[in-house]
Amino acid sequence: MKLAKVAAAGSVAALCALMLGACGSKASDSASKQVLNWNESAELPTMDLSKATDVVSFDTLNNTMEGLYRLGKDSKIEPGIATKTKVSSDGLTYTFTLRKDDKWSNGDKVTAKDFVYSWRRTLDPKTNSQYAYLFEGIKNATDVMNGKKSTKEVGVKADGDYKLVVTLDKQIPYFKLLMGFPVFFPQNQKTVEKYGSKYGTASKYMCYDGPFNLTKWTGTNLSWSLKKSDNYWDKKSVKLDAINFKVNKSNSTAYNLYQSGKLDATSLSAEQAKQLKGQSGYTVRQAASAFYFQYNQTKPEFQNKKIRQAISMVIDRKEFVNKVLGNGSIPAKGLVSSGLATRNGKDFADASYVKDGVTVNIAKAKKLWAEGLKEIGKDSLTFGLLSDDTDIAKKTTEFIQSAIESNLKGAKVECANVPFKTRLNRTNQGQFGIVISAWGADFADPISFLDMFTSNNSYNAGKWKNAQYDNLIEASKSTDAGNAAKRWDDLVNAEKILIQEQGISPLYQQATAWMVKPKVKGVIYNSAGANYNFKNTYVSGN
Amino acid sequence: MKKYLAKRVFYMALTLFLVATITFFLMKLMPGTPYSNQEKMTPEQIQIMNQQYGLDKPVWMQYLMYLGGMLHGDMGTSFQFSNQPVSYLIATRIGASAQLGIQAMIFGVFFGIILGSIAAINRNTWVDTLVTVLSIIGKSVPNFVLAVLLQYYIALKLGILPIADWGGFSYTILPTIALGVGPLAETARFIRTGMVDVLNSDYIELARAKGLSKFQIVYHHALRNSLIPLITLIGPYTVSLMTGSMVIENIFSIPGIGEQFVKSITTNDYPTIMGVTMLFSAGLVAVILLTDIIYGIIDPRIRLAGNED
Repeated sequence: MKLAKVAAAGSVAALCALMLGACGSKASDSASKQVLNWNESAELPTMDLSKATDVVSFDTLNNTMEGLYRLGKDSKIEPGIATKTKVSSDGLTYTFTLRKDDKWSNGDKVTAKDFVYSWRRTLDPKTNSQYAYLFEGIKNATDVMNGKKSTKEVGVKADGDYKLVVTLDKQIPYFKLLMGFPVFFPQNQKTVEKYGSKYGTASKYMCYDGPFNLTKWTGTNLSWSLKKSDNYWDKKSVKLDAINFKVNKSNSTAYNLYQSGKLDATSLSAEQAKQLKGQSGYTVRQAASAFYFQYNQTKPEFQNKKIRQAISMVIDRKEFVNKVLGNGSIPAKGLVSSGLATRNGKDFADASYVKDGVTVNIAKAKKLWAEGLKEIGKDSLTFGLLSDDTDIAKKTTEFIQSAIESNLKGAKVECANVPFKTRLNRTNQGQFGIVISAWGADFADPISFLDMFTSNNSYNAGKWKNAQYDNLIEASKSTDAGNAAKRWDDLVNAEKILIQEQGISPLYQQATAWMVKPKVKGVIYNSAGANYNFKNTYVSGN
Repeated sequence: MKKYLAKRVFYMALTLFLVATITFFLMKLMPGTPYSNQEKMTPEQIQIMNQQYGLDKPVWMQYLMYLGGMLHGDMGTSFQFSNQPVSYLIATRIGASAQLGIQAMIFGVFFGIILGSIAAINRNTWVDTLVTVLSIIGKSVPNFVLAVLLQYYIALKLGILPIADWGGFSYTILPTIALGVGPLAETARFIRTGMVDVLNSDYIELARAKGLSKFQIVYHHALRNSLIPLITLIGPYTVSLMTGSMVIENIFSIPGIGEQFVKSITTNDYPTIMGVTMLFSAGLVAVILLTDIIYGIIDPRIRLAGNED
């Protein structure tokens, strides 16, 4: 009897659920509309641009907000809110003239005050921005960030509604590029104050001034949409009516949805990438993200250049990216990633390429190893190899361990695969022999990478020191900051020294393989900063 | 009864307090900060952030502050979802996990009882062997393998059910089956063993002798008594299923709590770790109490108040 009741209750519950489900089903979009269905591999954590830290947030902000500039193909600066930019002869004052025809989604006009408000808010220590450090170089920004000066003292001022004046402490050669990064976009004060702690936690608690408006995002759900904005100044260039984002964390699920036509684009796992390589729609997106060895140069064995060279030379990076990774990643040419920056048509990575520093050469490695050991007075060497505990990281350490131990006589590698935060902690405290570190550039300039390895930089965990390198980096920021050609040469030469000396040993440049339906056209992808710009994207044919 | 309940509720509160305390201090032993951009921040910036969040204070003070917040119902705000209150995160995510867990449990127990009973009635025949083999397969095949197979063949190839997402009842069918097969196999084995014992007992012989039909014997006498051990199993099982299965939720893109819990640990999202741990613990102690009460109702031999009263 009781069982019968339970069964009856279960059927009623099931029926209710079925009816609720039916109520929730949607009518299909009309065929004439331009709609894109895009897969995301993670949730959207925030839309508060002062607090964003992840790619999904930055991508969404990049498509719903408009800054002084917008980054086009190959990180080329395209017009945004700024119509004219005047730079003072000493390079320390930028005067931006703003357009008068861009509006916020709440109807307010976008003015210079919105930029001033946004920058001050990001720099205010109370806001807890994790990207405020990018303001370094703007007058007083670091002091404000560290709570030593009031936000009013930041070098940014509104001269009327449509003129923005920015003063710098020192020249920032890549300043315009930075202006295309979401953390420098404006914010509508009225909206921030109206929603208080709820600001940026759901699509309705926000205000947008970009090509699209965000909708259907509750703050924790797994889908949201971008709808074309009517208030955007350049709305005639925006072709898509909507972009529907779905979070599918499982690559196999996302690919099933792609095959069934529910998604137009999705990233692939390494296994899928190996299978689908060469098929129509297969696309590799290179990231401005480098993986490299840092040697703990407080230890005598790693102060020896020959030991470092030998270790780097036994690693066949090509075999590694093809056999172990297989996701489109490429062998590193140096620390600065390929495709990040070019000058007169030449890629920085090619200009600074030191072949010997990143190419396998077992015979030479053996020779250098023997000499190195002799110099430090040892006949064998045991050291730790620290890395993350992800599947890829484990495969990476196994590959490297085997390459070193099978080729270098007397070498013993002790792998330690630990969680990311533990790895960071141990790296910062110098608790490693060799650590596999990774760095992603925030903006498309080589300095984003090279700045890390000056002698006293806190990111230089291996404590590699080279005075010539330090001087070149310093020159690029001071004496040569205003001279693009000299600055380029400084940075190229600095990188050459870093690789020749094996201050670090670059391993690979990370990439992600995607399947994107061939009908999707005009997607702009940049390897550094916010990745995707859908402003000119459209769908054509099937 | 009242005295017993009061005592049990007191122990529940004590358990939860201990769980909160131990988890809090263990959590603080984890290296690193909760800031996702920690890698790029300088030590000075990290220090300023710590001051802002009160993470620079001694751990015992942070603990007292945390307890104070909990007493006022404030679980803090998540670091992964900046500004999002943990209570909101849990509230919006627990629904899907709970629904899926309950459905999987109902599915598993319902069919488990049927299969287990069939095996017991036909014990030592090919039917029994078949059910045993199926149970072992069900128990040993990981649910994510089953999930991927169901998704590929039923959803993609046959196209009769959605591949993933969370919309209506149809979206829940495949994940329910994938998640429910484990409990189904477990239940079937429990019921089979229990019922075989019961069917050999004297009172079943008496029932047979009284001329009751086979269905009546199984349904009224054997099944009820075989259910008792199952109750111990169902309670904790339900809680663990309700608090989310990370793998199944990922495969079917279900907005549940499972992954948040795991992710909160790897990202040092302290308030979320505490929030989800406390939710899980509260659920578990409540279910244990409930199980004990139900025990007493089903089996009058077990007295709630114990022998001393």
